[in-house]
Formats: sequence, C-alpha cells, structure tokens
Amino acid sequence: MSLPLLKRAADDDGDFVRVSPKTRARSAALCGTGLEGQMPPRAPGAGEQYRFHFDMGRCIGCKCCVVACNEQNGNPAAINWRRVGEIEGGWYPNTRRTYLSMGCNHCVDPTCLSGCPVDAYSKDPATGIVRHSAEACIGCQYCTWNCSYGVPQYNAERGVVGKCDMCHGRLALGQAPACVSACPEGAIAIEIVKTEEWRAAFVAGTPGGGVPQADGSISTTRVTLPKELPPNARPLYLSNVHPEEPHWPLVIMTVLTQLAVGAFTTIWLLQLLGLSTRLGSAAVTSLLVAALALNASTLHLGRPIHAYRALKMWRRSWVSREVLLFTAFAAVAAVYAVILWFGLPGGAVVGALTALFGVAGVTASACIYRVPSRPAWNTRYTLLQFNLTAGALGPLLAAAVGAGDARWVPLAAAVMASAQLVLLALRFFRLIAAGGIELQGTARLLATTLKSRFIARALLLALGGIALPLVAPPSVAWLALALALTGEIIGRYLFFVSVVPKHMAAPYLELGSEAA
Amino acid sequence: MNVKRLLGLDTDADRYAYGVDPVSGFVSAQKIPDRWVATTCGYCSVGCGMFVGVKDGAAVSVRGNPDHPVNRGVLCPKGLSEHQTLNTDNRARYPLFKRNGGFTRVGWDEAIVTMASAFCDVQARYGRDAVGVISTGQLVTEEFYTLGKLVQLGLGTRNYDGNTTLCMSTAVAGYKRSFGSDGPPGAYEDLERADVILLIGANIADNHPILCRRLQANPGTTLIVVDPRVTKTAMMADLHLPIRPRADLALLNGLIHIVIEHDLIDRDYVERHTTGFDALCESVRQYTPDRVAEITGLSLEVIYRVASLYANARAAFIGWTMGVNHSTKGTETVNAINNLALITGNIGRSGAAPFSITGQCNAMGTREAGFASSLPGYRKFECAEDRDALAAIWKVPAERLPAARGLAYPDIIEAALERKIRALWIIATNPIVSFPNLGVLRQALEGLEFLVVQDGFHPTPTSELADLVLPAAIWGEKEGTYTNSERRVSKVNRAVDPPGEARADFDIFLDLADALAVRDELFPGWSAPRDAFEEWKQVSAGRLCDYSGMTYEAIEANGGIQWPYPAGAAEPAATRRLYSDGNFQTDDGRARLIPVAWEPFPEQPSDDFPLVLNTGRTVEHWHTRTKTGKVPILERLSPNAWVDMNPRDARRLSLKPQDRVDVVSRRGRIKDVELRVTETMAPGQIFVPFHYAEANANGVTQSAFDPISREPNYKQSAVRVERSMR
Repeated sequence: MSLPLLKRAADDDGDFVRVSPKTRARSAALCGTGLEGQMPPRAPGAGEQYRFHFDMGRCIGCKCCVVACNEQNGNPAAINWRRVGEIEGGWYPNTRRTYLSMGCNHCVDPTCLSGCPVDAYSKDPATGIVRHSAEACIGCQYCTWNCSYGVPQYNAERGVVGKCDMCHGRLALGQAPACVSACPEGAIAIEIVKTEEWRAAFVAGTPGGGVPQADGSISTTRVTLPKELPPNARPLYLSNVHPEEPHWPLVIMTVLTQLAVGAFTTIWLLQLLGLSTRLGSAAVTSLLVAALALNASTLHLGRPIHAYRALKMWRRSWVSREVLLFTAFAAVAAVYAVILWFGLPGGAVVGALTALFGVAGVTASACIYRVPSRPAWNTRYTLLQFNLTAGALGPLLAAAVGAGDARWVPLAAAVMASAQLVLLALRFFRLIAAGGIELQGTARLLATTLKSRFIARALLLALGGIALPLVAPPSVAWLALALALTGEIIGRYLFFVSVVPKHMAAPYLELGSEAA
Repeated sequence: MNVKRLLGLDTDADRYAYGVDPVSGFVSAQKIPDRWVATTCGYCSVGCGMFVGVKDGAAVSVRGNPDHPVNRGVLCPKGLSEHQTLNTDNRARYPLFKRNGGFTRVGWDEAIVTMASAFCDVQARYGRDAVGVISTGQLVTEEFYTLGKLVQLGLGTRNYDGNTTLCMSTAVAGYKRSFGSDGPPGAYEDLERADVILLIGANIADNHPILCRRLQANPGTTLIVVDPRVTKTAMMADLHLPIRPRADLALLNGLIHIVIEHDLIDRDYVERHTTGFDALCESVRQYTPDRVAEITGLSLEVIYRVASLYANARAAFIGWTMGVNHSTKGTETVNAINNLALITGNIGRSGAAPFSITGQCNAMGTREAGFASSLPGYRKFECAEDRDALAAIWKVPAERLPAARGLAYPDIIEAALERKIRALWIIATNPIVSFPNLGVLRQALEGLEFLVVQDGFHPTPTSELADLVLPAAIWGEKEGTYTNSERRVSKVNRAVDPPGEARADFDIFLDLADALAVRDELFPGWSAPRDAFEEWKQVSAGRLCDYSGMTYEAIEANGGIQWPYPAGAAEPAATRRLYSDGNFQTDDGRARLIPVAWEPFPEQPSDDFPLVLNTGRTVEHWHTRTKTGKVPILERLSPNAWVDMNPRDARRLSLKPQDRVDVVSRRGRIKDVELRVTETMAPGQIFVPFHYAEANANGVTQSAFDPISREPNYKQSAVRVERSMR
C-alpha cells in the first residue's frame, strides 16, 4: 500500500499533520477542549516520533474510542484495536474507578517487530508508528503473545494479524485518528516525543509519565494519572479468568517434534553404546513422526501456503530459528535414517548432528514462549518441560519399536518421566505461591476449570512413563508410549489454555503512582 | 471457507481495504457512503446531531455533526454504532397475526381491518374506554400528535398513556405543580455557566455522556453529585454525597431549612414571583440539620457546606434524572428541588435552572403534543377554555374533548387485570422488560382479549404475547422532529427504507384512521409528517411550547431551534430559557412553593430480604436492548447482566467475585447473574442493570407508584442474594 505519507515524510516539509483551520475553529468554539490541544502542530523531526497521550483523569469510561476504532477499521466486534481496562480502588464511598484506554503503544523497540518471523512489522522512519503488513503476515500469531500489551490481534476470518497503526492513513491526510476525534472528553491526544530522551529516561528509571514498562520494548504512550489514586487500585474482574485458545496444531507439533528429537537422540546414544537392534526401524518411525509434526505446524498458520516465509528473520526471531532448526533436524534425520536402514557408514557423526539440531530446535521452541506478557510461560520450567517431554517419549518410542536394549531404555524413560512429574508438581506449587495475579490465575484455572484434565495428565504420565516401563513386559511398550504421549499432549494443551496474559493495566499498576 | 482462504492466498483484503471519504476522510472502504443524510440521534434526549452514511440503500456508517450546537461532532458509543440498529435480524418485517398459538404473516390491509374491528368489537361490548393505548417516547412529534388525536377523538378512549410515565411523568407533574406547566426551564449551556452544579440521582457519565463535555468546559464549577452509588458521575464530582436510598427529599428540605435560617434566600425574588413561602418555612422547620444528617447519613459539615455553596452561588444548576423520578415521593422531590431553586432565585437565568434531564429521544415531544397526560400544547383537560380553543382549531365540537385525563400507564395495567380494559395497543415499547413487577403485568396482558404490538423489533418479549404484530419503521427510516431535554426541536430524516413491509408509524396511524372512518375529519388531506407539523404549529401557537415560528428548513439550518419560538421570532440559534421574566404559567403568574414531607421508601429491608436493590443503566445499552442487543460491538462490550455488591456483603454471604447468583424479592427472582464485588456499592445495597430480558430486573421490583405522577418506584426493592442452583 503506498500512501502519500511516505513521499511527504521523505520530503520532510514539516507539514505532515495538519489540523484543518475549520476543525480548529470549531473545536475552539466548543469548550476549549477541541482537537487543537490533541494534535501536534507539526510533524516529528529527526530523532522524534508520534505517540499517544492518554489523560486518565478525563476519561469517563464511555468506550467511544473502542467503537470508533472498530468503525474506522471495519473490524468485527470481537477484534478491538483499542480497548478500555477498568481499575478500581478505595473504599465506599471514597471509591475511585479509572479507565485505561489503550491502542498500540508504538514502542521504541517493539517486541512484535523483533519477534516476527516474516518481517511483517515496520517502524515508520518518519513517524515512529509501528505498522503491520497484512500481505507479509503469515498468521503465526507469535506477535499476539510477544507484545506485553496484547495489542496485535489475530483475525481468524482473514488468517492474519492486525493492529492499531495510529490511523496512519488519516494522519497522512492531516486528519486526527478515529479515537482522538471520537473521545467526548478529549482524553486521547497525539504528541511528539524525542525518542532517545524517552529511552534514556526509561533506562535511568525516571520516566516522565507513561505506561510503565512491561518489558524492554519502551512503550511511548504517555499517561497522565488522576490526581489521587487509591493505594489498593487493581484491575476489575481479576478473578474472571478464562482458558485461552488451545492452539491444537501447536500442541501436536511441539509434542511430536519433541518425541522425534528424543527418539533420534536415544537412537544415536544406543548406536554409540553399540546396542544396534532395530535402530533402522526406530529411525524411520521417528522420521515419520517428525514429518507429521512439521506438517501439523503449518495448520497453525493463518496462511499455510506462505509457511516458507517463516525462515526469513532467523537473525532475530525465535519462530524463524525454530523453523530453521527443525528443518535442518528433519533433513539430517532423514540422512541418518537412510544410513541406519541400509547400514551405511558415518552414522555416529550424522546421528550427533541430528541430536544437536533436534535439541537446539526444542530449545528454540521453548524460547518462543519466554514472553513477559505471559508469565506462566515465561519461566525456566518451559525449557525443562519441553526437553523432558523429548527425554521421556524418545526412549518410550525406541522401546516400543524394540530398539536397543529392553532393560535400559525403559529405565531411561522412567527416569525422565519421573523428572517431568516432579517438575509438574514444582511448577504447580510455584504458581500457587506466586505473587502475580496472572500466575495465580493460572493456578486457579488448573485447580478449578481444568482440574480433571490436569489430574488425568499427571496420571497418564505416571502410568505410561513410569509404572509400565518399570514393571510391564516389553510387549506392552506400545501401550506405555500411547499413554505417555496422550499425557504429554494433554499437558501441552494445558500449557496453552491455562496461561493468563497480563492485564493491559497490570504493568501500569505495578509501578503505581510513581508514574504520575 | 474456500480453498484460497484455507491456503492463505486470500486474506479478504478487499473487505478490509481503506479509502478516502470526501467528508470523513481516510476510513475503512466499506464505511464510505454514497451520501450523508443529516438527522438527530434516536437514543437519548441529549439530542445529538449526526449524519447517516448510506451506500446502495443501506446505512453503513454515522458521524457526528460538527456544526450541531448540542454535540459539536461527538457521539456516545451507542450513537457511533447506530446505523447497525437498522439491519439487525430482530427487526419486525411483516404484519403477523397469531393463529393457534403461532404467528402467520398477513397483509397490511387485513392487519389494519382486523385491528379496527377487534377494537370496535371490544368497545361495542364493554364501552369505549375498554381499549387502552400505551405508547412511547421513541416516535417523532408529528406521530405523537397524530396518534393522540387518533386515540382520543378517533378511537374515543381516554385510557392512553406512554412509557414516559415510567420515566419522566414525575418531572412533568413536579413542573406543573410548581410552575403551572411542564417544560424544563434551562438549557445545556447552563452546565457551562453555572458555578455550582448539583446533580441528584443522575449518572450522566453512563446515561448522557455527551453532556459531560459541558462540565469539562466549565472547570471553575463545583460539581456536587447526590447518589447512594459511587457512579462514574459521582467519581467526577468535587463533592459526592453518598446519601442513604431515598434520603434526597430530606436532604433538599434540610438545605432549604438552612438557607432560610441563615437568610441566604433571594427575598426579592420570593416576594415578587412566588407564593406559599410562609407555609414552606413552616414545613421545613422540622428538617433540622441534625435530623437531616441522621436520615441521609451525611455529616452536618457536608450538609452546611452544600447549602452554603448552592445558596451563595452566582448561578446554581440542579439536574436530576431517575434517582429522583423513580420514587413514590418523586413529584414532591421535584417540588423540593423547585422550591430550593425558587427561594434562591436560581431559575430563568444563565447557569441557573432546576433541570430535568429527560430520557428518551422524544419523550419531550409526546409531553408537548401527545394528548395523553395533557391536551396538546400543555393545555389542561380540566380547563374549558383550553378545550374550546383546541376544538376551534380542530373544527370539532368541544364536547368531544375529554374533560379529564384517562388512566395512567400503571392504572391501565391494573384495569386490564380487573378486565375493565379488554384490548391494548402497545407502540414502540417493551413492558415485559421495562414495567415493574413482571408477574402482575404478565397476568394483565394474558387476560386481554386482543393485544396489538406495533414495534420496529420482533420478536421482543412483549411482541411474543401479541395477537397482532405491526412492523414499524424506526429512527433512520422516517421523517419528523424530536425535542431534546433543553426544548430544542431537531429534525430527523429518512436515510433508508424500512425492512420488509415495515411502515412509518405515521402511515400506520393514518391507515387505522381510514379504517375507523375518521381520516377525513381528523387528518384532512394529510399524507406526510409535514402535514401534522403544520397543524401542530397552529396548536402550539401562543402556548409555552410555541413552535409557530419554526419550519423544517429553519430547524435543519440551525441545528435545531429551542422553543418557545413564536411566529416572527428572530435569532433561531439563540439559547432560550423559560421564566426569565419571572412570569410563570399559573393563574397569577407566580410560582408555587409547595411544602413536601419526607417519608422512608415503601419496602424496607427485613431479615428475609435484607438488601436494598437499585436498578439502572450502562453506557453501552439502551432500555430493553431491543435496539442495542443486536449491535455486535455493544454486545461485545456489555454482553450480560450482573449484580454489583459491596465486598462486606459478599464476605458475609460467602460469595466470591464472578459467582453466579440469584436476586430474590417477595415477587420474583432474577436467575443466574454474575456477581461483581465492588466498593462502588454501599454495604446493604446492590445494583442490577435493567436492560437484560434474560435477567429481568423487573421480575423483582414492586408495584408501588407515585400517587401524583403514577411513576413506579423502581428503586429500593427489598431483596436477598443467593448462590444460583445449577
């Protein structure tokens, strides 16, 4: 999409945003809260960008901005590029409810941009607006997790993400963004910020106002707080947590890739130990699992035909790295399987490479979920759990195929599964003991809505991963694998649905009144 | 879903493309219209000017009118999505007749003939007044004028009232008693000019958000909000008075007591323009600050401070809405408000008014022209002179005009229950959700021989009970005028055609007149709303609500014109106030100071029902959600009913936030609603929004009515809250 903006911004004619004289006269006539105070008089210069200013003291929570935004962008009701969060504090009758209206914060170092595997995001050099290209997007939705403010939203109907672009197109024509002009109270404004000064203020921990930082992205939005904010201010309806999307293709993809990586690593170790019974069969089976997993992953994409684009940004996106490493893993694993099947030489080296790429791929998978906006994912447990899934399921597959040694392989599986079970318990207790509202929300979901599934997951792990391998004859090894695999799939499902994203006002409340 | 979409080759890019509208600028291409139609918002009585964008015959967008004096281009969330009300799947499209328990589609001719013969049949058997009519505040003034004449002179029943009795009749009665006529005296501009603003039981931030702009334009003012709930509006206040439920009247009498005792009255104004001062002094003697503090729960200091702020203000404004009106003592509370304004001379001046902020878009229009609670033009039924004057304009014998008003809305329901009313015509209102004490209402409606529901929406909980459903055009599909709270008459225009066979109420009324053989007599040569407007101008001439100088064209050109605007008047755009000359609509021209006494609310909490239920609105929805319930963005923002409760009560009941609960009164039960635990509620009080049919707040409210205005006491029902049984 080419806009006059780009040309004009390049010209730097200093007249990028104009408020028409008519609008100015009109708004001056009304109440003195007209748009002239809400729009900057000039375009950003070098080292500057636009940002939102939100005056919390003026907002009455009418949500005109939300409706106007949806009308402006033709979005369905379920997608709201601007949202309003409610915060309550105080005690009757000295109660204060305040509202936080938030579009995109047009961060200095946007995490949506840095995490995007296909470079669909750009930070407009002239205005600092963080823009998203629906054409480039493949609908992987990583940005929807990676943004600490929940700004990008996935439109399943289109198969791509969308987000607030500060009404870039309107600004280019000298018009105020929809939310700015719709606000009856004049609570939303556009202003110019000197980017490096703003960054320095945050690095020094002395922001002059703004959304307190949820991560290192340095949100540019400036928020003016009401004069007094009660000490117990908290988001409303906190206990109202609902399970998130399960992302089934990702459940299948992550568990099966981990199974394949674990199996190939087991095969390679068995080969090193000289226990080479049926390794070829095991390798071919594992290869099929890996292929299934990688194909399943494309079903997660809104635009699967463009899956290949995900390789593009390997220098900075964990999604790209994951795709790259698993592609390499699959390629090397295929060679390794051929070597083992036909008994060709060089297996030890190719096997080592297979295991290396596989474990690196699993690690990259885990790193995708290390995002500050999703506290339940953003822990060391994620990496450990992903690798232990590989560690437990891999030997179980080898045992089921009858590869290697019937005594040691099940034992290895049982050790890994036991570690996974311990980790499961530790993680749950940590969630219960955690201070954060989101982690507590996750614990509450696991203990209430998802309780039976959570128990089933633990039982299946204990039965298929530990009990059967230790006591049952090799003939039921397939059953052990099936039970443990089902347990891991339910576990991964719980991983996705039990996460509680940060409330949009949460980072703001953590800083409390210091932000004033 | 097609293959290209599944593969990701198609991202629906066309539908999400943008374009540039010559007026509204860069915007989603699907929202760019072929033409913009100027009109006035059809939700509340603020009366915002707006344009509807029409593309290929369908409404695709709206925008505020930047030149309209009321809103200067901004709209509330309901207004911003109002075009979406026109295309919903719950619109009534065809006349439907109930046979064997199910609806069958019938033609218009058959529908009108069926209706006329059913009404005539009932009247022949039980008398003319056995037919009742319940209308609304949603039609245009031209339609109210036509309907009133049709009902009173054509059908010949006096038992005609509107849902405005559930809303504004208290303000009407209060104004009539104090000033000799209905008519809010002030203007919105007063909110920008007053140095003290006292809002009583008015949560304008949720219910009239565009008025809040006026407060921002007046940063020097002291805003005092009287409300037992910490509403959004209360949070905006400089001084919030969290009074006990129904203590407003005691507070007002207490303020008057202090103002008189400390000689803060405008003695000159009282002497020249009022009567009854001595009796007023006598009546407030017992409302000592100590006693008022005890009744209201406020501190002495606060009461003195408010009295002093109000009485010493250069210009003081009092605005009120349902907190005052929804009360068995409502009319008297309005009189107390007027008393306070009168003795301090805070009326008829810039910034100074006792101002009823109205509810529906055209509640004012039906009050002026409707022929329900008064004769058109604020004339009195009981005044022979008024009847003669009207009869002369209409060229009918004066004896045909009723000399007393018929039954008010609650009394029509009562009469239906007693089978004195056998047939009912309900127009553009949904009593099953909006009328108090649902069980009684249901019994009344089910006992009818014939029920006609004429509405823009079907099915509604009310239309489902009908024998005949008449599909009506709504806002955006017809022409006429609305009057807003500040008496500004604004034009509404037809932007799109009504769906299916739905027709403008105006046309339905004329057709019924035809079937009753009164069309030529009552509406000679009429074909369009303009014909009604021209006659209404004559009827209003010389009255307080004088339209005679207005034309449709002048109204449009000026963004509405405030009445009184007699023929020959200048400056259509000027702000007008009533009673600036101190001359009131009473026989002697003086305003009445009316002694009133506080009483506790009728249904006090008990051991079984220990909580006091308050009902009200949320900004996203309108009335019973027939209009907003199918607007996806509004439903997204506020999809379900809830109960607000103080944490102390929740702890005592061992309830947690988001628990599912029932609200139970002596009369019924609201089932399975979400509990919200919040410090905006006082301990002992709960709040439930009244918009939601599936969690009908009026299943638990009571049949208690103001004896003067007949307005229901929706507030203060004694209830208990229980965990829902699943």
